[in-house]
Amino acid sequence: MITPVKALRKNRFKTALIFLSMTVSIAAIFLISAISGGVVSMYSAMLKTDGDIIVTQKGIADTFFSDINRSMTTTIAAMEGVKEVSALILGAAPVDPLPIVGIYGVSDNRFKSYTLKQGSYPKTREVMLGSKIYETLKHPETIVLSKQTFTVSGVFKSRIGFEDGGVVMPLEDAGKLFHKSASIFLISLNDLGQSDAIVAKVNALNSQIEAKTTESFIDSYNQFKIIQTSSDVIGAMAFLMGILGIVSMMSMVVNDRKAEFGIMRSIGLSSGAIIAKLLWETLIIALAAFFVAWGLSEGVLELIEHAEKFQGYINGEITAALLLKVFIVSVVMALVGTLLPAVYASRIDPMSLIQRGGA
Amino acid sequence: MKIEAHALEHYYGAEHILRGVDLSIPSSGFTAIIGESGSGKTTLLSILSTLLQPTGGTVTYDGKALAELGNIDLFRRRNIGFVFQFHYLISYLSLRENVALAALAPEGIDPLMERLGIGRLGSRYSDEVSGGERQRAAIARALINHPSVVFADEPTGNLDTKNALGVYELFREFSNSGTGFIVASHDKKIADFADTIIEMEDGIVKKIHH
Ligand SMILES: Nc1ncnc2c1ncn2[C@@H]1O[C@H](COP(=O)(O)OP(=O)(O)O)[C@@H](O)[C@H]1O
Ligand SMILES: [Mg+2]
Repeated sequence: MITPVKALRKNRFKTALIFLSMTVSIAAIFLISAISGGVVSMYSAMLKTDGDIIVTQKGIADTFFSDINRSMTTTIAAMEGVKEVSALILGAAPVDPLPIVGIYGVSDNRFKSYTLKQGSYPKTREVMLGSKIYETLKHPETIVLSKQTFTVSGVFKSRIGFEDGGVVMPLEDAGKLFHKSASIFLISLNDLGQSDAIVAKVNALNSQIEAKTTESFIDSYNQFKIIQTSSDVIGAMAFLMGILGIVSMMSMVVNDRKAEFGIMRSIGLSSGAIIAKLLWETLIIALAAFFVAWGLSEGVLELIEHAEKFQGYINGEITAALLLKVFIVSVVMALVGTLLPAVYASRIDPMSLIQRGGA
Repeated sequence: MKIEAHALEHYYGAEHILRGVDLSIPSSGFTAIIGESGSGKTTLLSILSTLLQPTGGTVTYDGKALAELGNIDLFRRRNIGFVFQFHYLISYLSLRENVALAALAPEGIDPLMERLGIGRLGSRYSDEVSGGERQRAAIARALINHPSVVFADEPTGNLDTKNALGVYELFREFSNSGTGFIVASHDKKIADFADTIIEMEDGIVKKIHH
């Protein structure tokens, strides 16, 4: 244990370079996974409140494009086992000076899922603002959406970043604004055991709509898959960059230390012992890089969460599961990246120590 | 360990370097390989010490060919010590740690370093001691596992006369206590210390003196 640390100290310049490149890669993996995971979990949390079943337009890729007839809510609400049905319109519009803000039109029975901080729930031509956007816009009394002025009736607090940075208004007003009846219905049930039966009944109502349990909706939602896949691809690239960085730096290190490995071979240390020595060295760097990258990522996530620009939409969390995953990734990165240079080191011929054709 | 060479030939590319060497080196004692530069001393020593495969001929160790020795790393670690012209001490390890790196068992390290006159330098690093002391540490590393034989190629090549004589004296002393030494050198003074002198010329053994 002491020997690898001494070796790293002796070669401190290259040690520092390997450390930096690993830290950057690991932090990139942390951030991309945390942020994409945050977006997905925030949106899922929003859908899960009050919704055991989600109804959208059939075959739609994004709920923003979904358009279904809100009059169906009455029929669904009358079904046995259904506790409540709410309708939502999910839209987005600029609110000066913000380029884009989430607008949520909700049926009256959904207002209760927002915790009011001040004022009252909105009526016609009124909106209520998430506490985040209320601060960003510096406590406005009115806001303008599509050239129409709406009075701010109240402010709510939501732990879901999208909502806290968004605008909530009555469903009818949002319908006029976005020219649609409803985007989605959220159905809550008396008994979850009935969900499959009710999904089937709702689907039978109309061929234009599609009902799914919230769980299966989230699992199959295309946007989540796209986010997840992009994040996996970027993460994999960061991983590969990390490995390439280690391979090239370690090759230089091995080259610098040829005589050292040659002498180890000549005194009969096995190839395995030499490989193990080098693996220990990068493993130690990887551990340090992991912890520093973790700290850095927490800092960056904190900054992003409080950055006005992102209105709380981006909100990543480093969960225990992510921590474990990235830890394993860091160790694998160090081991894989070192293996090739280490094998090369372990094969250095002690013959190279003999001064060729010398005196 | 008795080392025997039969009809050794070696080529580097088309260059014929060793041209039929037959030797029998007793298991103990101090054997010097001397000769002009380019006469093939290093090549012969490399072959005898298992580091280089000859183009032709065989080397046996107590009658066994290299292929019969089993794990060559272990064979080297148990039976052979090396001293090179350059000390090759690992710079980030102290002298004692350098010796310990090679040691199969730690007990003998301090007495050995004491005996080699570097007992008090154990915690120093190679750049904190003299050239002669560095070479003594390298010799300690070669001797630590009580090898049957130590091979040295120009071990005094980087030393002044006084330190060179000191090294020969050490070889003499340790060979008296049973370790075999096979040392290639172009320094004729080595002859005063060796039991056997093998004189090389143009890739053949010209003469053997006892
Ligand atoms: N690896 C090599 N490739 C080609 N020629 C070599 C190599 N090593 C040594 N030689 C040549 O072989 C000859 C003998 O070299 P060497 O055994 O080192 O002799 P010595 O140690 O007596 O000086 C020299 O002419 C040298 O240039
Ligand atoms: Mg030579």
